[in-house]
Amino acid sequence: MSNDNGVRVTHAAAQAQAAETIASIPSVLSEYSCTLCKKVFMSYSDLKYHYETEHADAVLPVTVKLHVNGRDCEVLVEPQSTLKQTLQFKLGLTGAKEMCNEGACGSCTVIMDGRAVLSCTLLTVECEGKDIQTVEGIAADPKWKPLVDAYCKWDAMQCGFCTPGFLVTAKALLDRNPHPTEEEIKDALAGNICICGTYPRHSTAILEAAAIMAKGGLVNG
Amino acid sequence: MADLVGVNGQREHFRVVGKPNLPGVLSYALATGIAKFGIDYTAPDMLHAKFLRSPYAHARIVSIDTTRARALPGVVDIVLWDDPDLMKLGASPFGPPKSYLGNVAHQELQEVGAIVVAETEDICNEALRLLDVKWEVLPHVVDLKKGMQPDFPAIRTPEDEGPPDMFSARNPNDPPKRGNVSYVSKIEGNIEEGYRQADYIIEYDTNLPAFASHIPNPPASIAWWFDDPYHGPGKSLRIEGAVQRRENIARMYGMPPEKTVQEGLFQGGKYCDWGMRMSQEITPLLAKRTGRPVRCANTREETFDFLMNQRFMHIKVGFTKDGLITVVDDNSIADNGRPGNSSFGVANDQGYGPYYTFKCENISQKYTVVDSNRGKMYLSGQHCPFNWDAGTMAIALIAEKLGKDPVEIAKLNLHGPTSQKDPNPVPSFEACLETGKKLMNWNWHPSRAKRLPDGRLHGSSFRYQICPRHAFSGYDCKLELRDGKVHLPTQGPCTGIYAVEANAMVVAEELGLQYEDIVVDFDYREKFTPVGGGSDGTTASSWATKECANILKRKILEAAIEEAENPPPPSMFGFGAPRQPSPFKGRKPEELDMADGKVVLKDDHSVGVPLAQATAKNIFATYSGRPPAAIWSLGMGKMLDTMNTAWCEVAVDEETGVVEILKLGVVADPGKVMRLTSLESQIDQVMFFSQGCQLLEDYFYDERTGVRLNNNMIEYKKPTMVDVPDVTRKFLETRAGNAAYGASGISHSLANTHLIIIAIYNAIGVWVDPPATPDKVLKALGKA
Repeated sequence: MSNDNGVRVTHAAAQAQAAETIASIPSVLSEYSCTLCKKVFMSYSDLKYHYETEHADAVLPVTVKLHVNGRDCEVLVEPQSTLKQTLQFKLGLTGAKEMCNEGACGSCTVIMDGRAVLSCTLLTVECEGKDIQTVEGIAADPKWKPLVDAYCKWDAMQCGFCTPGFLVTAKALLDRNPHPTEEEIKDALAGNICICGTYPRHSTAILEAAAIMAKGGLVNG
Repeated sequence: MADLVGVNGQREHFRVVGKPNLPGVLSYALATGIAKFGIDYTAPDMLHAKFLRSPYAHARIVSIDTTRARALPGVVDIVLWDDPDLMKLGASPFGPPKSYLGNVAHQELQEVGAIVVAETEDICNEALRLLDVKWEVLPHVVDLKKGMQPDFPAIRTPEDEGPPDMFSARNPNDPPKRGNVSYVSKIEGNIEEGYRQADYIIEYDTNLPAFASHIPNPPASIAWWFDDPYHGPGKSLRIEGAVQRRENIARMYGMPPEKTVQEGLFQGGKYCDWGMRMSQEITPLLAKRTGRPVRCANTREETFDFLMNQRFMHIKVGFTKDGLITVVDDNSIADNGRPGNSSFGVANDQGYGPYYTFKCENISQKYTVVDSNRGKMYLSGQHCPFNWDAGTMAIALIAEKLGKDPVEIAKLNLHGPTSQKDPNPVPSFEACLETGKKLMNWNWHPSRAKRLPDGRLHGSSFRYQICPRHAFSGYDCKLELRDGKVHLPTQGPCTGIYAVEANAMVVAEELGLQYEDIVVDFDYREKFTPVGGGSDGTTASSWATKECANILKRKILEAAIEEAENPPPPSMFGFGAPRQPSPFKGRKPEELDMADGKVVLKDDHSVGVPLAQATAKNIFATYSGRPPAAIWSLGMGKMLDTMNTAWCEVAVDEETGVVEILKLGVVADPGKVMRLTSLESQIDQVMFFSQGCQLLEDYFYDERTGVRLNNNMIEYKKPTMVDVPDVTRKFLETRAGNAAYGASGISHSLANTHLIIIAIYNAIGVWVDPPATPDKVLKALGKA
């Protein structure tokens, strides 16, 4: 996270790191590793044969094609894997956070086909072919700089753990309603829990970002 | 204004300090999700670990057969509680050999007996299911009043008891422990005389339920060992997820600090729950055993292991006809939690409690402390420091009894700044009251005396607190002028309180720079860690930083004069523009100042040189020292300086029992506002914490099994964005604190357990213990 100016993270630095993380998403599976014994195979059919012969009682992993932050990728996952787990453990995307793991807090929110959804309660296999955007995708897109700027300007975070989930939900709101009222913001973010109690900050930040984006300008220059 | 020692303590004009809307140095990392918390880390070839956790509230493991679990494909290691590695890890120079992981669980879901390491978390969970564990179920206490009965079996053995912690009570006259019950008392003044002086005595009971700490990020760590010949022979340890505890981990594993690496900066929310979980400590051992990186993470339900202890309060207060308190007689039953529970919230408030702000010196505090299997408070928590609202309730009830404004009762009873015998008013308190009354358009009425146009009953309440601030860290600081820029090295961490930022603002203020000019260098090897003091970022460390900045400033000015007199030779390669003659030639350092990013003549700021050109030197300044001790820590509530007030108005619907908070108001004197935006946010935080514990939050147990029924975020309710009201805030600056410029911060002193409850009482005239859910309100009204 270091740059020429110490560790003060600018929008540009965060944007670059998010873009780098997205660029690191593996696009195709080049090998198929057995989850149980770590043996590596060059094709899925070889892996399947290995499970049939060596781990007959185990559940065979499946391949899933995903479209995440504009990139096509393929993952080998257990059928019960959630999208949250796949994002973290297979794609290296840790912006969606695990707080409740049961769809109650909104910290793991991602946008799928234009809707804010909870990645902890979605199976990865349900997401095949869907257009998924995580907070890294929003961070890497300069269009959303005003929203990120406003969040930082207004301290719409304390410990910051839940913040990406709020930001993703806010982006989904602004996608469908570029000029939300404060009440509409509250309704949209009602499923996101911030234990630090930063709630009023989010409305302020989103209203400011919406106004600036409507003018095509940028917060903080 | 406080007569603070130190440089510029009395500064009157501020360019940077107090300014709003300055992004935190790591805010962009947090907002964009690139910030990694312990639970986020992964590593190639990583294994996962899970603890066996007790399904019982209190049970002993008699035996564990691991045969079936070990046979499960993907299982790499199973460590049992009596494994030599765990015995070594739990070894202490005192007492008998003890394993790091016991075979007795004192709480449902407590780590006990075994750890499984496997290729995935799912395999870990399956292996845990395949462990054949023979349990001996032991008696449990989740109902304190049952557990304290004389014939109830004792749930702790002497071996379960750890050494007393720093907050343990020390009254040699207390009766010895019997069964599950120990006694803690503190009696001051003359209780009988206090009763004799009283014209009235009120007696009240209230139940303060347990609350969850509810840290947002489930505790987790990852560790691995690696070769690092630059720091000596042997493997070095990399651990992430034990933020602020790197050196503890190093000691735990016998590692020198320089060979223990932790680069992560993001601690997440702690809310003064400073305890480390086993998942944050065990991974180095498991990584060493397996030779691979190991990750261990708590689930959310496992993170409901903390509780702010329950307390049943029975209080008698004597007072005169005009409302002056003559005696306080507090007999409470407090939850002692499971072994290892901190005494902080059980007995420590006897030493610093709400009663010590009263003029009344006849105070009896007798607590019955009951061992339980409900949970553990690791050190402290943020909900209600020191059980403050026992005093708030007394003031409210006296007001109702006499039909007088509770503000007047509080003013009558509050002692002066220097001691309980000091009759003078406390300026900060008086200012907070006057501002608060205007803010709220305060017009108190007796209970059930006001209905709103929609028919609901109106209630209002008020409370005060002192501003107890942390002053325990961050006094060894260092600043560097490096290549023309000022650097503030710190180990961080990022805890959400913006303390690093407040310190950077102080440096900028003192050096005539902007906040953005200060380069913050986070490095885990650095010592400076300005934690504590709440989200306003005000810490006593800012005082030390101010001193350090002025040492750096003196050195910069000396270097500017030195180079004016003896300009450094040009570069041997002749790069760059020729150096201009310095305008400071013939001057002395004391004739110079720093302003607007330049070194300038003190009496003519138009004559100046940009800082980067004033000296070619790299200059280092260090400071190690403490500010004057906080009045709070000296007086423990018996001396008063910066204070705050909180105000509430509610509407109660008698038909449905629904309580609506109409208005929350706060007038706080943080001494000096350092970082306005996060100070406002801190106020919101504590008020929403308070709203949650008074209207929503409670733990529910199945009494038969001792199992907690709502350890999840669906059934353990926290306020959401649509639940919280607006909080109106006003800040005063009396400069009476001990941090830089007389700041003190507010810490979590505004967190409260009864502000809303008292407003409900004022509305409906009957008491409802928190959480005041609609069913409980209706029951109190006799309607359910």
